[in-house]
Amino acid sequence: MSEPLLNAKNLRKEFATREGGSHVVLDGINVSLHEDEVVALLGRSGSGKSTLLRCLIGLSRPTSGDVSYRGQPVTGLIPDAAMVFQTFALFPWLTVQQNVELALEGKGLTGEERTKRALAMLDVIGLDGFESAFPKELSGGMRQRVGFARALAASPQVLFMDEPFSALDVLTSENLRGELLDLWLERRIPTRCILIVTHNIEEAIEMADRVLILGTNPGRIRAEVSVTLRRPRDRDDPAFRELVDRVYEIMTTPQEQSATTPAPDPVWRRLPLAPINRLKGLLDRVAEGPDHGHDDLPVLAEEMRLDVDDLFPLTDALELLGFAKVSDGDITLTPAGQAFAEADILRQKEIFAEHLLEHVPLIARIRKVLDTRPDGRAPRERFLHELEDTLTGPDADETLEVATDWGRYAELFEFDANSGVLTLDPGPATQKP
Amino acid sequence: MPAATPTFPSREVVQSRRPFSLWDLIVIPLVFGFILVASESLRGAAAPFAPGTPDLTVSLNPALLPFYALRSSLRMLAAIAFSLVFTFAYATAAARSPRLERLLIPILDFLQSLPILGFLTASAGIFIGLANGSIFGLEMASVFAVFTSQAWNMTFSFYQSLRTVPKELVEAAQVLHLSPWRRFWTLEVPFATPALVWNAMMSVSGGWFFVVASEVIAVPGRGQPQFLPGLGSYIGLAIRHSDVRAMAYAALTLLVLVLIYDQFAFRPMLAWADRFKMEQTAGTERQTSWFLTVLRRARFLRFLASLAMRALPARQRVRPTSSAPALQFNLRRAPSRRLLDLAWGGGLSVLAVALSVILLKFLLGAGFGSAGGQVLAPNPVVASGNVPVASITLRRELNSIRLTGTGTVWLSDVCAALRTSGRPMSSSLAAGLGVSRGVCETPIAAPGQISWLEVPRVLLLGAFTAARVVVLMVLASLVWVPIGVAIGLRPKLARVMSPVAQFAAAFPANLIFPVAVILIVRYRLSPEIFTAPLMVLGTQWYILFNVISGASSIPTDLREAAQVTRLGRVSTWRNLILPGIFPGYVTGGITASGGSWNASIVAEVVSWGSVTVQATGLGSYITKWSTGEFNPHVALGMLVMALYVLAFNRLLWRPLYALAEARFSLQEA
Repeated sequence: MSEPLLNAKNLRKEFATREGGSHVVLDGINVSLHEDEVVALLGRSGSGKSTLLRCLIGLSRPTSGDVSYRGQPVTGLIPDAAMVFQTFALFPWLTVQQNVELALEGKGLTGEERTKRALAMLDVIGLDGFESAFPKELSGGMRQRVGFARALAASPQVLFMDEPFSALDVLTSENLRGELLDLWLERRIPTRCILIVTHNIEEAIEMADRVLILGTNPGRIRAEVSVTLRRPRDRDDPAFRELVDRVYEIMTTPQEQSATTPAPDPVWRRLPLAPINRLKGLLDRVAEGPDHGHDDLPVLAEEMRLDVDDLFPLTDALELLGFAKVSDGDITLTPAGQAFAEADILRQKEIFAEHLLEHVPLIARIRKVLDTRPDGRAPRERFLHELEDTLTGPDADETLEVATDWGRYAELFEFDANSGVLTLDPGPATQKP
Repeated sequence: MPAATPTFPSREVVQSRRPFSLWDLIVIPLVFGFILVASESLRGAAAPFAPGTPDLTVSLNPALLPFYALRSSLRMLAAIAFSLVFTFAYATAAARSPRLERLLIPILDFLQSLPILGFLTASAGIFIGLANGSIFGLEMASVFAVFTSQAWNMTFSFYQSLRTVPKELVEAAQVLHLSPWRRFWTLEVPFATPALVWNAMMSVSGGWFFVVASEVIAVPGRGQPQFLPGLGSYIGLAIRHSDVRAMAYAALTLLVLVLIYDQFAFRPMLAWADRFKMEQTAGTERQTSWFLTVLRRARFLRFLASLAMRALPARQRVRPTSSAPALQFNLRRAPSRRLLDLAWGGGLSVLAVALSVILLKFLLGAGFGSAGGQVLAPNPVVASGNVPVASITLRRELNSIRLTGTGTVWLSDVCAALRTSGRPMSSSLAAGLGVSRGVCETPIAAPGQISWLEVPRVLLLGAFTAARVVVLMVLASLVWVPIGVAIGLRPKLARVMSPVAQFAAAFPANLIFPVAVILIVRYRLSPEIFTAPLMVLGTQWYILFNVISGASSIPTDLREAAQVTRLGRVSTWRNLILPGIFPGYVTGGITASGGSWNASIVAEVVSWGSVTVQATGLGSYITKWSTGEFNPHVALGMLVMALYVLAFNRLLWRPLYALAEARFSLQEA
């Protein structure tokens, strides 16, 4: 293969936790991007895929490791790169045309030349007629078109896209994706290479020549899947489905622990963001499904319109709680999972409580602390601080929120949001005015 | 994108517009007229002001009122321009450098709590010196006082905005290789604009009060205060002459002036700033302004703006693409930086201690309020040129020790005179002065310095004023919350009344103060109680229009839910209305209470002609000692007031605000 356009070797990225420790987000990452290819970076939420993208483009500096662009080491933003954002990141006070012209500043162009090029790009991208509109006036799809126009106006060699379609509805994203691929395939844009970050498996396979799958804790590249299907790719093509199944398989196979970073104390591990109602919904669906307790994840995802980011936290949680086994892209309920699905509400809470205490060390720990306190009360901060030893602030907060949600549902403890105190006895809550 | 054949961009973009439209017939004369009138009216503003110059005064001729109004407005304009420059420099420095932030933000917090009118005394002398004996110095002092009423909250708002610029937009600016200068004007300033404009416009509304109060300036070495040409001076003179007709003219002029400001500045600015809002959230009312529409339709201004904009890209072009702007990486701090931080912290502490020592020395004198291990006794003013000693017997007593009543006579002067004449303090003299007979045997503070023993008394005066503020705020709330809710729940009425309340807040209440004097004197009311309402006269409107906006933002479905569940009147108020208006009420309360503290300086001492009504309090203390020169007593008064305001903000308003944001915000629901 020719010399890579962009090459990253042995990237590692740590974030400082509030308690002075560090949380490893990415570790041992090797990526190279070549000319004339679309690479998709696929991973579940929290795998650090957006962080990796920001390290590659130079928005964020890796803790260690090297990035080189056309053989030159990169210290800041790489030249000739553009980026498309999930939230569009348009300047709301500038018109569509002004937003696009902004990309051409600092290019040594005259004002007229800038306007000409911006209008030409708006024309290509299908925004003709919207030049003097403000982003506010546009729908999400049109806004992202402006995002594309702005990124492509400067004729970037490498285009980075951070979940560019995930804020759009299904129809709009499909339409936009297709048009972008057309531009790319017909060489109507000068871009040599595209890197797209996504959590949508079908999207990755539809767009990319290579799919890099990122694992979690810490993020590392678990597998690389080459996609050689002919374009345009048909999602119902059996070969396409097969690839989807394969990616599901990889993503649901438990990953071996990294050797360089020891596993943290299980008590302070991050919990999957799985709200109770969704957990119950998924359990019911699998239990009552055609195979009674056994299902194919890609099929489930398709049917329930769930992304990887929505689905995997749920399956993770079910596995963690011992309600299901997930492997090879399949989910199978355990007897406990079956029993839970069939029980009435009160019995469900009892089962859930048992499993929480047995399988979720953080909740067992909270309960134990509350049990030892004479008044059965402990401030939330106490646990948050301990979590922050190993997790970054937002992660710690989310994990504790999940634990609180689960614990409240199982009636293991109560939480008073006003005082920020976790209490053992849920009784007084009913006596409050 | 599927366009195989390139279509043409819309006509608007390519076709050059006609440079003028019909609207320009209105706008162009307006622009030139304004420039002409402004330059004409500034004549004489830079005339010399030396000891021999006659006292400045104004005429009560109503024909001159438009000119005076213009002068006052120009002062306001100058102040807002300075505030803007200050805001950009100060807030940007604080937001960019964490080290400077640790110094600048506490200073700003403190400045914000200082009573604005105190600044006037502090600054007049300095500015006259700076302007080298020109009237321009007095003008600057007046503008500075108005500046201090506007700058701080604008700076805070801009600083807050700079810190909350959305991360993706910052990243987009980086990926687009915008230079820091360009980023400032393309990203940060526009992002901050809605909040900044709102704060600036609120400041200007409040500023009319201070324009009226800051044009009559006491100058050291002059027996009479100086009247700068302006509406405030006109009102000041009318009050001195108890000229009711002149007051009516002034009120009418102010009414027109504030109306013009409301229609031609306040509303257009707010409507214009709407464009910079990140998201047009539902429920928030869109500002509209007919004047802005006219300006937008006229092309002349656009032409002027495009001329100005042409200067910008030239600066931009030189930047090569490869030199990316400095990035903020999320790295742990290196040990050397920690050391630097530590050194910076240490330096700041040393600076703080040094400044405190200097301040204490200024207040208490070289011995820091003690001599020979003894705390110095207070040294009150016995007689001053402005306020002659009242009792004839005391005057005779003073004359007998050769202390004639011209200029300021301190207690220490009396003691010195007694010592030289070799006479003891007679009991009648002691009684006349209100001191003990042995007072001259103990060491007394030097003239003008403060004794430690006075501090508790000033704190007590502060407590009096605090009590007035609290009681009046409660009363104003009891009156305006129900009215505001009643208005706010009727959308049509709210649309009409909200601007009216904003207008009322801009109308300077000090114009109505003399009415209180007349009433208090005629009905022999206690000034201690009946001057208090003056403090909230101008500030209560902030409560009203914030409650209106809070009540009108209560979602309709919540109100319907309350009706359907048949909540009683009490329950509806407790569960729906009060929580719904709480955030708005707190916002209004913060502004109103801060404004009331400021107003206390003019509200506790009010005059009409030769009659002066005075209440005991910190405001009247500061007014009493504002004799033209910045002195330790004014400093102490300002410090204590700042202390009270800070305490109120920290202990009451800030927790309430946090509660409002966390619990009662309807945004997330």
